[in-house]
Amino acid sequence: MVSPVRSICIVGGGTAGWLTAGIIAARHASESGRGLQITLVESETIGIVGVGEGTWPTMRTTLKKIGISETDFFRECNASFKQGAKFARWVTGEESDFYYHPLVLPQGFPSLDLAPFWTKYSDEHADAPSFSDAVCFQQAVCELGLAPKLITSPEYAGVANYAYHLDAGRFAAFIRDHCVKNLGIRHIVDDVTDVVKKDTGDIDYVETSKSGRLGGDLFIDCSGFRSLLLGQTMGVPFVECSDVLFIDRALAMQVPYDDAQSDIVPHTVSVAQKHGWIWDIGLQSRRGVGYVFSSNHTTADAALAELRAYVGDEHRDLQPREIRIVPGHRQTFWKGNCVAVGLAGGFLEPLEASALVLIELSADMISTMMPATRETMDIVAKRFNETTRYRWDRIIDFLKLHYILSKRTDSKFWIDNRDPDSIPDSLKEQMELWRYRAPGDQDFTSNNEMFPAASYQYVLFGMGFRMDTRVSPLDRDIGTAQRAFAQNETLKVKWTKTLPKNRDLINKIKELGLQKI
Amino acid sequence: MRLVELSRSEHAGLRIRDDLVEASAASQHLIPIVVSEFRKAAIQYPIVFSKNPETGRFAPYVMNGLGLQENLFWSGTEMDVAYVPLNVRRLPFYVGTNDDAPDTNVLCIDLDNPCLDGSGGKRIVNPDGSDSAYLKEMLSILGALVAGKAATEQFIATALSLDLLTPILLDIVLDDGTPLQVEGLYSLDEEKFRQLDEGEIAKLWKTGCLDLIYTVLIASGQIIKLIRLKNQRIALSRAWHSNAG
Repeated sequence: MVSPVRSICIVGGGTAGWLTAGIIAARHASESGRGLQITLVESETIGIVGVGEGTWPTMRTTLKKIGISETDFFRECNASFKQGAKFARWVTGEESDFYYHPLVLPQGFPSLDLAPFWTKYSDEHADAPSFSDAVCFQQAVCELGLAPKLITSPEYAGVANYAYHLDAGRFAAFIRDHCVKNLGIRHIVDDVTDVVKKDTGDIDYVETSKSGRLGGDLFIDCSGFRSLLLGQTMGVPFVECSDVLFIDRALAMQVPYDDAQSDIVPHTVSVAQKHGWIWDIGLQSRRGVGYVFSSNHTTADAALAELRAYVGDEHRDLQPREIRIVPGHRQTFWKGNCVAVGLAGGFLEPLEASALVLIELSADMISTMMPATRETMDIVAKRFNETTRYRWDRIIDFLKLHYILSKRTDSKFWIDNRDPDSIPDSLKEQMELWRYRAPGDQDFTSNNEMFPAASYQYVLFGMGFRMDTRVSPLDRDIGTAQRAFAQNETLKVKWTKTLPKNRDLINKIKELGLQKI
Repeated sequence: MRLVELSRSEHAGLRIRDDLVEASAASQHLIPIVVSEFRKAAIQYPIVFSKNPETGRFAPYVMNGLGLQENLFWSGTEMDVAYVPLNVRRLPFYVGTNDDAPDTNVLCIDLDNPCLDGSGGKRIVNPDGSDSAYLKEMLSILGALVAGKAATEQFIATALSLDLLTPILLDIVLDDGTPLQVEGLYSLDEEKFRQLDEGEIAKLWKTGCLDLIYTVLIASGQIIKLIRLKNQRIALSRAWHSNAG
């Protein structure tokens, strides 16, 4: 006697809930009536956290997969293009200090590794270009405020790799409408009052105020920081990582543009401050700006003063929203017949926009590994937990990498961040290897890697890390490298001449639309 | 290009050499056409679709060459073809719009077009000030282009709604060994077209789109003509170099 998995109950309707619903429904033909039945219950009284405004390029595939038109997405979600991140004042704190983590891979990567050639050249030339500028044309595109594609580019295709900035509130509503209208998801607006378990320890049903009991063979916890199902009901403990990543507080603001047609910056800007860093994200109608800091190193008032200094006196009337972050994640993410996606599973500071991508990856994994029966669910759960834990660990390593190379000494925050006791062993090991050779795919061998080796290169060399190239000789003839550097310069000229301004293209997409092909 | 609104009085003295008009297309590898031209175009050219670089919208074109700025039908003095598209024949005239009344069409002339030449035999107005037969012919060509615009857009919309447009993939190696690559060109997907159900085919027939689809499918074979012309050029250039050597 087997118990087939036929119905899913998702609790919570923020970005996590609706994206998960959409991804599973699109694969499992929920609209046909013969596939998996999905119910999503969300509260009217509990708002969404909604600060996830930066995506990865994966979002293009995700939206396409669930059947959304990119044109509609731009029209409805206040969305704009994101071509990576610009990190300012992270190394020395000086005004001129910046580097890019673009989304386009270094020229020739991974078959060609330009890092040792660039290192050698910049050892010998004081006026050498920065790593990101020397190996990737996208920095030049970003510095000029250009879009990553043309009006003739098909939906979801680009000249340069890109992701999005979006309004999280509007995005959740947009995906919700699509899910309800086109993907056959049952939507219930109600408050969950109780979660009731069976003798086996599985969740039996959730009790709601007006809609009665909602059952399911699998429950997906998208209830946000509360972690109503996985944390509160299933009792899965929380693993804090504040000993590695110190940021535990955010002050967020929505800053209007001077002019409705002001340029939209086509990348995330991250400006290091005394006790953390400020994000600055350009949407169509406003900027999202926020200061994430460590409350162990400064007070909210002092942080607010830093944030106000950044946004300028003309916005002194804006009131920030304060968000408390406990950095970390659940010990496991799937227990019994309950799996958590989004904040219910954990959260780290928004550096490198890992929140939304983890939702996509988790939902995708649940969808593709969907157990056919309750009996096989524990096997899937075990694999899901291993992979998800691996992903969290890699994100933590990669975020920490941004801090350990800073030369800033203007506060205890930056000095404490370099304390070896605060650096995970896995990262320490990598750093040992990278003293003599650049990060490569051989350092990241899982099928479930988060960041490509190229991302480590961008951050490592952007932060001023110096490799010792004397020990191991360059493994390729210099001619190949020179051609790749020259090709990068050619691409820079070509695309900075051809690509439109970010705002102009977004206006055009809203007016004329992009073609599907 | 210097486009101005045509004035019968101010431009009365202009002379046009109509034998120079086709020279404007000497380095155009694509020329836009309207659906009313499809049948005539099909006896000469492949009919393809491409996006307007300003709007991203699809429009139909005849193909003169396999690469940018290549017109294999250009003989050096004229287009050596059975049919010259309206968008060439109308030159040096254009249809513009007036900023004050965007829906009204305005007759414009390009004062920089080389076919404006004092030695030309065509004039805009007769000595009595009435429109010349030449201008009347130009007006009827422009009229056909304006009239064909809506029908052409309708055809494109229909093709897109049925997912019939598909990027052109050519797997051809020219006689000098260069693989032929075309970018940004689309054709009709014959396989998808064959899978349409009766109801959809009936709709296409009623709206006149069915004829157009067959015309485009048949015209696609004209690509062979372009490849032959291109290979002839390669052979000529080889012969030239071996003689010179």
